[in-house]
Amino acid sequence: MAKRRLPVLIKDMGLCIFKKPFTREYPAVKVEVPEGYRGRHIFYPEKCISCGLCERDCPAKAIELVEVSGKRMPKFFLDRCIFCYQCAESCPREAIKFSTNFEMSTTEKEELLVTPEEFISKQKVTSDEDKQHVA
Amino acid sequence: MNKFENAVEVLKNNLADAIVEFRVPKPRKAYILLKPERHRDAISLLLKHVENAELSTITGTDLGNEIELNYHMACGGTVTLKNRVSREKPVIRTITDILPGANLYEREVFDLLGVIFVGHPNLKRLMLPENWPKGNYPLRRDWEPHANQESGSNSEETSQKESAGELDDAGSIINVVVGPQHPVLHEPERFSFKVDGETVVDVEMRLGYVHRGIEKAAERMMFFQDVFLVERICGICNAAHTTCFCQAVEDIGNIDTPPRALYLRTIIHELNRVHSHLLLLGVAGHLLGFEALFQHVWRDREPIMDLVERITGNRLMSGFNTIGGVRRDLGPNIVAKARKNVEEVRKRAKFYKTVFEEDLTLRLRTEGIGVLSKSDALKLCVAGPVARGSGIAVDVRKDDPYAAYGEIPFNVICYKECDTWARLMVRAEEVLESLDIIDYALNHIPGGRLRVRVQRKQPEGEAVSRVEAPRGELIHYVKSDGTAYPYRVKVRSPTLANLVAFPEIIRGAYIADIPAVIGSLDPCFSCTDRMVFLDTQKGQRWHWSLDEVNNSKNRNGLI
Amino acid sequence: MAFDLIFIVRTLVFPGFLFLLVLVLFFDWFERKVAARFQNRMGPTYTGPLGILQPIADYIKLFSKEDITPKQTNKLLFVAAPILAFSLFVFALFFIPIDGSNVILNSSFEGDLILVLLLVTLANFGIFLSGWASLNPYSGIGATRVLTQFLGYDIPLIILAIGPAFLAKSLSIVTIAAKQPLPFAFLIPWSCVLFVIALQAELEKDPFDIPHAETEIVGGYETEYSGRKLAFIKLSEDFQFLFGAALVTELFLGGCHGPVLFGMTELWHVIWFMVKTLGVVFVLEYVGNVSARLRIDQVVHGNWKLLIPLSILSLALTVIVEPLLRSVIG
Repeated sequence: MAKRRLPVLIKDMGLCIFKKPFTREYPAVKVEVPEGYRGRHIFYPEKCISCGLCERDCPAKAIELVEVSGKRMPKFFLDRCIFCYQCAESCPREAIKFSTNFEMSTTEKEELLVTPEEFISKQKVTSDEDKQHVA
Repeated sequence: MNKFENAVEVLKNNLADAIVEFRVPKPRKAYILLKPERHRDAISLLLKHVENAELSTITGTDLGNEIELNYHMACGGTVTLKNRVSREKPVIRTITDILPGANLYEREVFDLLGVIFVGHPNLKRLMLPENWPKGNYPLRRDWEPHANQESGSNSEETSQKESAGELDDAGSIINVVVGPQHPVLHEPERFSFKVDGETVVDVEMRLGYVHRGIEKAAERMMFFQDVFLVERICGICNAAHTTCFCQAVEDIGNIDTPPRALYLRTIIHELNRVHSHLLLLGVAGHLLGFEALFQHVWRDREPIMDLVERITGNRLMSGFNTIGGVRRDLGPNIVAKARKNVEEVRKRAKFYKTVFEEDLTLRLRTEGIGVLSKSDALKLCVAGPVARGSGIAVDVRKDDPYAAYGEIPFNVICYKECDTWARLMVRAEEVLESLDIIDYALNHIPGGRLRVRVQRKQPEGEAVSRVEAPRGELIHYVKSDGTAYPYRVKVRSPTLANLVAFPEIIRGAYIADIPAVIGSLDPCFSCTDRMVFLDTQKGQRWHWSLDEVNNSKNRNGLI
Repeated sequence: MAFDLIFIVRTLVFPGFLFLLVLVLFFDWFERKVAARFQNRMGPTYTGPLGILQPIADYIKLFSKEDITPKQTNKLLFVAAPILAFSLFVFALFFIPIDGSNVILNSSFEGDLILVLLLVTLANFGIFLSGWASLNPYSGIGATRVLTQFLGYDIPLIILAIGPAFLAKSLSIVTIAAKQPLPFAFLIPWSCVLFVIALQAELEKDPFDIPHAETEIVGGYETEYSGRKLAFIKLSEDFQFLFGAALVTELFLGGCHGPVLFGMTELWHVIWFMVKTLGVVFVLEYVGNVSARLRIDQVVHGNWKLLIPLSILSLALTVIVEPLLRSVIG
């Protein structure tokens, strides 16, 4: 066995004073999220064919098909969702994609939803912002 | 002849009269149905003739008319000894006299299925709360959750009787209860230490505080959905759980996983191991009062977390494996980044290994503490770094290679000192070994498909799968009845195997050594228990009252 | 002593109670920032610039929390013990010259070094009583540990404190601090090093962190305290910390004396005092951060088998070396 020495970390610890701290002041400083992060869902209403595979395959039973503008489309319950993206895989038309948006906390439980309505209005205005986030 | 073939030969030659059915459907996996009550002979034979044979777990399955008990023995591969008892009167003889390590497994089967093990020293409940109605066995097929809304009397009064300290009749022995909430435990368990001054005289453990009903829930979801369920048994070893489950299902369905997927699984598995061991080294520092080491180790763990996030999409719950392969590929820039991160972590990991090896205060706190001799470790069937710290060189990756481990060269790290220091050193060195494995895998990864298309329905059959999770040997048993839903899923995580050894280790040590020993066992109680509430259909859920009622007067000790 | 305005101002405001309170809060912040930098993280940043108001925020929080007293304790003891500890520490600090003389003018006398050490011992008894009165096994274990550790390490501390007193030929802290043209830390370094180690044990910092060991005995002697009483306990710990660092400064570093510019003696005294004491805090934190926590039996063995013999040897060495240093000290 190696010899016992006096605290080995003396030098390492001392040098730490001069280094910049490793922690960052979030939310004052924004964190860079890598591409491919499984964040909030993005839904394309025009591609949806109302097959219901997303609802059936969801392991957490977090998707419910609701009627919006005459078409049955999925509504995602974020408080049950486990962000596994089985729904994105099961969808035969790739109508569900994921973004890198992870800042989903809110103080109202009712806001923990991803509804088709938000994407129908967005559909009319093509925003580049959306495209940036999409994996 | 290797260990597995030796084991099989021994059984075939000496117990020919007791064997009803004998199958070896895949390499290193044998399923043997024995005549009633012959399991003791089979196990004694295996213990005598096979080196380092251990019991992995005991699975109970309700087959309708009978209850089938599977004794999974780890001998180079997995030899499953099956025994059937009738459902009306499920009685079978215990094996705890031959193998004390089977203690907790028999208690679990008794608790959840109602099988009585004759001769067991302490057949009490393990997972379910004390005030669970009698005669109610959740893992039986006909059990429905909403049948017991009233879960017995409210144990408010009884829990008040349990104070943090009662003076025993002996006068000087105090009962110090650690848990369910205590800063040393990162997940709730309850350890009741009997202390005399500062020395621990005895300990009684009560598990089951985070029992979530995963085994029962798994029967109600389809195979591919179960992968996500199984992943959430434990955050730290999530890749191990999914790999194990997917392997079991692929065995049942005779699915050929593409080689590229196997290598990718290996890479994520090893990344999991590195991050878990570094986590534990930091936590060990924290438990020993070394805050600064804790912060530094966790800072140096970040490159690994970053890498996992880039590859799988999440820092913790990788969601990477699926039945038939993996869900994502390594992007083009990721390989270069992975090599860079691995190199960064390797430098720091070498430094931390030196710290643990040489630092005076750490050595003073961990050397010679919590000794578990090699023979005790074998009898108690411990797994993983706990076993390797006591000189037993078992590692599922070497004994029963899975994924890409058959093609990757690596060493099994083993220390002979049998104390807390050895267990921590095993983990520190395994980090370096894992980083080498990741490097090798990144350099030799074959091209090809990521996954094969798999049907929702799997054919009838059963399979056992073992992997080397960071904490030890993890075993999954999956049984399918031909539908898209599994008939039975059984998970035995390594912490349960190691907890059996805890009373032995801690007897005679000081109170101040308790955190060090607990830390060196690296308990992950989320893996150990697996049930709190069931969620059937949409939105129906309720909580079992987990008020713990433990009357210290009725205690006999654990083993 | 005349009970006039100066007395009241000095006792209550500066350099008395209020000033000490502000100093303690500042030291708390400094300690946390230094510890954070050693651990490569930021420390308090949110409250006030650089997080300097964090200790105030913490105490405001504590004062606003529910104050629970366990049913079966001796109420008087439970409430009085923390207050006793707190007030004794504050009173001990009254004998440390911060701006050149004690808080109560002309109150220093030969032997106030001994008085101060006695007050600190009594204050630690107060801490022990607060743990004992809690009737909780965790507190009981914590209280016994405090006593074991403190009583053990008090002995080398006193022995080592005699060193500087011997060199300065006086037992009055004001005199010892004034008679250091070259700080004693350079003249008798062995004594200083051992004193810092013994002090680390007195202040219950790593590696002698046992009475506070949260991972073993939850909160030790402070387990049952909450709200205002917990604030008193924490304040008394902070005052003890300030006292320890200040004692090192006075005995070994020359106290508040140093080069004075522009004739503003008192101001510079305070500044030098702060600078030196902050340096001591830095060293204490450094030692604390590079080691793990030792077990109680190792701590006790270390004391009786190592530290006490070494401190006696160090005192002997100081006595031997004294004539050689006579010319320097004058």
